[in-house]
Amino acid sequence: MVGGTVGTLADDQLGLAAVRVLGADVLLPSVLTRRRPLPDDLAVFQRAVLTFAPGATSSETTVWSHWGMTQTLHRLDAPATGPGAGPDASWLEALEWPKLTHQLSILAALAVPGADSAVAQVAADRPVDVARGFVRAVRRRDWLQAAGAGRWLSVIDGVPETLGLDTGLEFVAQMAGADARVGLHVHAAQHIRAESAVNAVSAGGRG
Amino acid sequence: MATETNAREITRDLDVEMDAFLSPSEAEGTYRDSRECAALLLIGGAGGLLLSPPTPRPKKG
Repeated sequence: MVGGTVGTLADDQLGLAAVRVLGADVLLPSVLTRRRPLPDDLAVFQRAVLTFAPGATSSETTVWSHWGMTQTLHRLDAPATGPGAGPDASWLEALEWPKLTHQLSILAALAVPGADSAVAQVAADRPVDVARGFVRAVRRRDWLQAAGAGRWLSVIDGVPETLGLDTGLEFVAQMAGADARVGLHVHAAQHIRAESAVNAVSAGGRG
Repeated sequence: MATETNAREITRDLDVEMDAFLSPSEAEGTYRDSRECAALLLIGGAGGLLLSPPTPRPKKG
């Protein structure tokens, strides 16, 4: 739903809501390839941000998801509604690893290279817990949670080698079949890991 | 006018449902069968964790 398709949803409330549910991932290709999105896509994204702003009773994940969208606009150098310091994330820090993984998976759109948020910091502080959560999700056949956790594991350091993340991601993609949300997270994770490997080789060559 | 009212109602309903979409509870866990174990064995390679013993199921009752 990128590359001009998003722009066709401008007058469709349901389409706009779908953009809000997908969140920052609507513009993920632009973020990962560091290319500016098409103006129509950007306009619809901004409309979704403004139309579905969180309210006083919104959940923490809803608030963070919205913040992620404003941060994406900031990254793409588009007028946003207030990028910068994110909402409170202390509620995440106290969670045990299964619940932490579940919540992080819901917020997988925040797992992008160079992510600078309190949520990303919590994930970075607990790589082994997220790895355990990934394995748990696979065993429970919760492919969406596994894919989201796998995506977080692709952007943090300290992930146990014994996890076998690459083969785990392949397995999740294979088992999830045609689930587009799982495919999105798995492909994002694989893209991020491939790019990290290339960067590591380049850095090694210079050193 | 009716269209405008409908649009307002849809937007209000979407607002209410948006939070449910953005903060879903955890899906019910199901456990793999032997066919999937075989698939894990085939693609697992060095990924030892995925093949370690299963997590104990919660006791009922």
